[in-house]
Amino acid sequence: MKTSKKFTALALAGIMAASSVSIVPVSAAEPKKTTIGVCFYQDTGKAPTATKAFLESLSDTLNVEFKYGTFTQTDEAANLTKVQELIASGVDGIIGTMDLGTQSILSECEAAGIYYAGYLCDFDTSYTTAYDDVFGNPNFLGTVTDGHNPDDVCIGNQCFDSLIEYNERNADDPITHVSLAVFPSWAFPAQTAGAEQFIADVDEYNKTAENPITVDPLDEEVDVLNFAPLDSTYFSKHPDTQAIISMAAGTSFVYPTMVSAGVDSDIKLFTTGYEGGEEKNFGTAGTQTYQQNVVTGVETIVYPLVLMLNKLNDTEFADMPEQAERISTEQYIINSDEDMETFLGTVYSTGDAADAAYTPEDVLNLTAFGNPDATYADLVNAVQTLKF
Amino acid sequence: MKKDKIKTASWLKGHIYDVAAYAGLAITVILFLIFSGDKLMYNATTILQTVAPYAIISLGAVFVYSMGFMDVSVGQQVGVYAILYILISNKMGGTTKGVVVAFIVVLAIALVCGAFNGAVAVWLGLPSIVTSLFLMFFFTGAQLLLMEGTGNTSISIQAKIKPMDRNEYTLMLIISIAVIAVLVTYFFKYTKFGKYTKAIGANEITAEQSGVNTTKWKVLAYMAFGVTVAIGSFIMLTRTGSAGKGTGTGFAMDVMICLILGGMPLSGGMKSKVSSALVGTFTYVLLSNDLTTMGVDLNMINFLKAVIFIIIVMITCRKHNGVLPR
Repeated sequence: MKTSKKFTALALAGIMAASSVSIVPVSAAEPKKTTIGVCFYQDTGKAPTATKAFLESLSDTLNVEFKYGTFTQTDEAANLTKVQELIASGVDGIIGTMDLGTQSILSECEAAGIYYAGYLCDFDTSYTTAYDDVFGNPNFLGTVTDGHNPDDVCIGNQCFDSLIEYNERNADDPITHVSLAVFPSWAFPAQTAGAEQFIADVDEYNKTAENPITVDPLDEEVDVLNFAPLDSTYFSKHPDTQAIISMAAGTSFVYPTMVSAGVDSDIKLFTTGYEGGEEKNFGTAGTQTYQQNVVTGVETIVYPLVLMLNKLNDTEFADMPEQAERISTEQYIINSDEDMETFLGTVYSTGDAADAAYTPEDVLNLTAFGNPDATYADLVNAVQTLKF
Repeated sequence: MKKDKIKTASWLKGHIYDVAAYAGLAITVILFLIFSGDKLMYNATTILQTVAPYAIISLGAVFVYSMGFMDVSVGQQVGVYAILYILISNKMGGTTKGVVVAFIVVLAIALVCGAFNGAVAVWLGLPSIVTSLFLMFFFTGAQLLLMEGTGNTSISIQAKIKPMDRNEYTLMLIISIAVIAVLVTYFFKYTKFGKYTKAIGANEITAEQSGVNTTKWKVLAYMAFGVTVAIGSFIMLTRTGSAGKGTGTGFAMDVMICLILGGMPLSGGMKSKVSSALVGTFTYVLLSNDLTTMGVDLNMINFLKAVIFIIIVMITCRKHNGVLPR
């Protein structure tokens, strides 16, 4: 009797256990556990810090662990070594911010069976010299550019708009003479194209303007920065300039020289990038040097991330293009006190993921496994309409 | 019994640096085996890929470091040579013939630079580091000019310079390291070449007064180093297939670190050994790999590497009156 009771109890327990398993809903959206390596172009600074904070906030919802590394801007072998080390540490995919040694990196990814995608990088060298090898590689998922692609330049228009907006706000003392600063065209062709675009906009504007604007032509000697800070002779070459339109990382390459030359109160700076602290001298604050900063939202990393997670979860968008793409992004144009105030509340500035444009659920909703209705077009739209 | 103890203590005293170097290698190998997990084979081949150019160049550097000298232009030379391999072979249609011609050209330049480095330092009575500084600036300019001429930040070689099969490539690297190691060991251990370079490192004046033509051996040492730099650059290129304006950056420092980790005295002399190059290179590459696979934070990796390096330098500097090479 006792034995039969035991058996009955065991049988009942078994049935209960089986039924308890069967009533747990099996969700198709449950992401697989994955590990993704993220290699930045530098390991410190506002952008890497904010990107890490944003990614970590997604970790639980997307069931992904992130491992971080740094790529060099100059050494192909060092980048390949970093990729190999990440593969050895067990990553399923890598997001990289540098187009250097990409073909060998992709060969390595192919051999290891992992995916590779870009972030804040136009992969222009690969795009123009090794398109089939890189963009045609099944392990390369595409890239999101830091702003607009070189064949889709608009930085010149943006700088021109900011200048005109400044002049409208300061109609009694407009800027009528400007000079330029860019990195070499062999390294950043989009900047030279942007400078030409700016000059063309000014020429068009001058046809009807009451206060025409003079732009000093690009001087190869001082206006093209060879990845070194602006030379102090810049100001003797451009003695009448009232503003520098710098597409070459003005906050670190131009502003310090302006300060050491003692011209930061007299000359305005319209530039790209934000490294923290610029707000103290932005718009009507402090020395009022900065009148424009341009920043790409760190949330744009969702483009490579979602594409990679889809692959790792064996799902695909119905409208997924056959070939990997590079996607231009709209940037945060900060050219007024109000813009700066708003920008200071974003994840880029605060480093707090709670201030990000997308919540973990938003990002899950962009994936094909988290939302069967999600499309590639939605993903691209999410990146290209990012507003702060 | 007491005699044995004294003998052991005396042996340890004489070999403390070797023991430390091999212990470092053993620890990194153990960590590598533990943390590589199921990626052991893959990880082993990547280690070999990373090690190969460093090992080959470090082996040649043994001749120079054994004299207590150094060459800070290695990185820039590696960069220019890699670019020249690509430009010349691509110009010749990406053929094997083009690669051979490129190799001959690069080898010739490397030999001339080696001779220049050794000879000018002697003729002008300058520390050899000064002439290598001149070469470093020269090659930095050449690298930038060559790359600006291409209109790109990075260029790729068209010719097929490595086996498609990963195992065959690994075998090719092992053979390359082994052949260079055997040749360097032979010349360093069993010929006048090694004996005289060590003698120069131990005491140059004594070596000279003993009838050693120090100028000749200095020049030959730098030329031998040049040959390994040319080969090492090619091996590095087989790995990435591309080069740019920053290729080779930091190579001089890496080679120095490898040798020091392997127990090579910075001041050169009779305790210099070929094994330092191999032990040090493997330790250096494995250390970086171990820290990454262990999941150590990136900033912490650099910090740990710096601490280890400083400790080793402090332990291995044997000269009373000098820390850095001449």
